[in-house]
Amino acid sequence: MNIVTVQQAQKTYNPDKIPVHALQGVDLTIEQGEFTALVGPSGSGKTTLLNAIGGLDLLTAGKIIINNQDIATFSDSELIEFRKQNIGFVFQAYNLIPVFTAKENVEFVMLLQGKSEQERDTRVRELLTAVGLADQIDRRPSELSGGQQQRVAVARALASKPQFILADEPTANLDSKSTADLLDIMLELNQKENITFLFSTHDQRVIDRARRVVTLEDGKIISDERVS
Amino acid sequence: MILKLAWRNIWRSKLRTFTVMGAIIVGVVALVFYMGFMKGFVRTYVSNAIQNELSHLQIHNPAYPEDQEVQYYLSDVASLTQKIKQQPNVVAYTERTLVEAIALSARGSRGLQLRGIVPEQEAVVTKLNEKITQGVYFSESKYKNPVLISERLAEILKLKVKSKLVVQFQTVEGDIKLQTYKIAGLYKTSNKQFDEQNIFVPQSKIALSQTGEPIVHEIAILLKDADKLVETQTVLQNTVSDSSRYLVETYLEVSPDVALYETQMTASSSIVIFIVMIALIFGIINTMLMAVLERTKEFGMLLAVGMKRKQVFLMIITEAIMMALVATPVAMLVGAALLGYLGSVGIQMAALEQVGISEPIYPTIDWLSFLIIGVSVAFTTFFAALYPARKATKLQPVEALNSL
Ligand SMILES: Nc1ncnc2c1ncn2[C@@H]1O[C@H](COP(=O)(O)OP(=O)(O)OP(=O)(O)O)[C@@H](O)[C@H]1O
Ligand SMILES: [Mg+2]
Repeated sequence: MNIVTVQQAQKTYNPDKIPVHALQGVDLTIEQGEFTALVGPSGSGKTTLLNAIGGLDLLTAGKIIINNQDIATFSDSELIEFRKQNIGFVFQAYNLIPVFTAKENVEFVMLLQGKSEQERDTRVRELLTAVGLADQIDRRPSELSGGQQQRVAVARALASKPQFILADEPTANLDSKSTADLLDIMLELNQKENITFLFSTHDQRVIDRARRVVTLEDGKIISDERVS
Repeated sequence: MILKLAWRNIWRSKLRTFTVMGAIIVGVVALVFYMGFMKGFVRTYVSNAIQNELSHLQIHNPAYPEDQEVQYYLSDVASLTQKIKQQPNVVAYTERTLVEAIALSARGSRGLQLRGIVPEQEAVVTKLNEKITQGVYFSESKYKNPVLISERLAEILKLKVKSKLVVQFQTVEGDIKLQTYKIAGLYKTSNKQFDEQNIFVPQSKIALSQTGEPIVHEIAILLKDADKLVETQTVLQNTVSDSSRYLVETYLEVSPDVALYETQMTASSSIVIFIVMIALIFGIINTMLMAVLERTKEFGMLLAVGMKRKQVFLMIITEAIMMALVATPVAMLVGAALLGYLGSVGIQMAALEQVGISEPIYPTIDWLSFLIIGVSVAFTTFFAALYPARKATKLQPVEALNSL
């Protein structure tokens, strides 16, 4: 089942001054349960594409269809609501809420969704256990390592039961041990719970473990390989 | 959740939070002190003016206030004072003869007001007898023509107790008269200007008319209950009925200065309050704005994961309200304590002697003004947060996330 369809996506930054054509006609479909790496040299348009799919930024031309809905038709507040219900984000810089504990960070989106306390509690415990942080539940981000923070971020992204998870260079700030651990967790979630991941990376060890690798160059897809 | 988030957020930068709270506290305390001081000052000023000079009510010939000529005296004083005495709210009254005069001395001549008084009455109404610093009051003086002048005037004219003083004035009939007095005593009030311009003699010692009838220009009345000022004025005016002969005025009408003082103080208080509020607003806007800009990336993340713009706005406003709710009660306690303390010890200010106040000022404030200050400072904080909060809701998630 297709969850995301990108059709002829074009993105031009600074159309009035010196235009930068960051995406130049990208076609891509993402299916339920995929574990896809988006690769390509710096400036090839990975972040731009992920932001567009995540509804964080608008395309100049082309369409992004998620669950048969063209996200360009949404108003700003509908888009926020759509993100909240359907998309989980993992950022390169973790971006946790500094004043909240690991538990509260994971719980946050569920609170925004208005989930009951009981549902929240079970899920937070479940997720933090899944990312191996059952003992660190009450620590704040400043009391956690980068790898641990990023695992909290993955747990947070999953808390809302999104359709898929977008991650822009989630391991860029992590050492190789933490990178491997995080990938283990992501792959396990992908295999056991059939959670769809789309992430960008420069890291060959990460690319090696992806099950599909989409390569961008100058805003175009130059290769799309599935690994079995 | 927003409450929890906001509460934690205000404690993440303690310095900033204390800056905002400090501004609120300083603002409230400054305003409470200022209002209290002004109120205490005006109260002292007015009560001084009433006790020493104006009394509560004054009766004149209707022509006198306009044109203080010697011939505009009160007719039929005996029956007038009879009616005054019958008023239940009247404590005391005093009759005065008021004449523009020139004091002639070796040091030159000097224009002043010669006040012919009834010593016993004046002693009750303005307590002139208690203001004698050298020599004696009329009641103890054995001189045939005693005069009381102020210490200050004595200094200026190089006169002492027992000195002679020649005074020149015009009679009702228009004749110029010279009268020699002997200084029985020196007085001192808290009003320098008054002291320089007034000398007292017994009413019977000013021969203002050839007929020898007593000439009274002014009757000053002290009331029991000053709150019934206008009421008593009206009753009295109706009782004496003939408004072409008698004009009953309150101290506020007699001395527009005092009335002006009160309104000016209110006006200047409003200006000061306004300025303090503006300063507060800018201080808080500035700190809150910094707090918002510093957290741009975080707001980007919050918007990305699904926090509504409305919720972001609410969060920042809540932060401000929380700071106000914590700081305002503290500020009001400090303000009340300060005012309570100063209100009991008083503030002595040499500078105020210029305006005739030599006793300490006891700051005081009414509950309403006190509450208004607290509430308006809290509201100011709220308003100051609106702009930074609005700014945060205008952020675009991608740009916010990319910011440092
Ligand atoms: N906000 C922006 N304004 C103008 N140009 C931009 C903006 N964001 C990205 N670009 C440009 O668009 C192109 C694609 O950028 P993008 O960030 O998508 O690349 P990327 O593949 O994510 O690179 P990296 O691997 O370095 O993260 C680049 O040339 C970049 O300079
Ligand atoms: Mg990028």
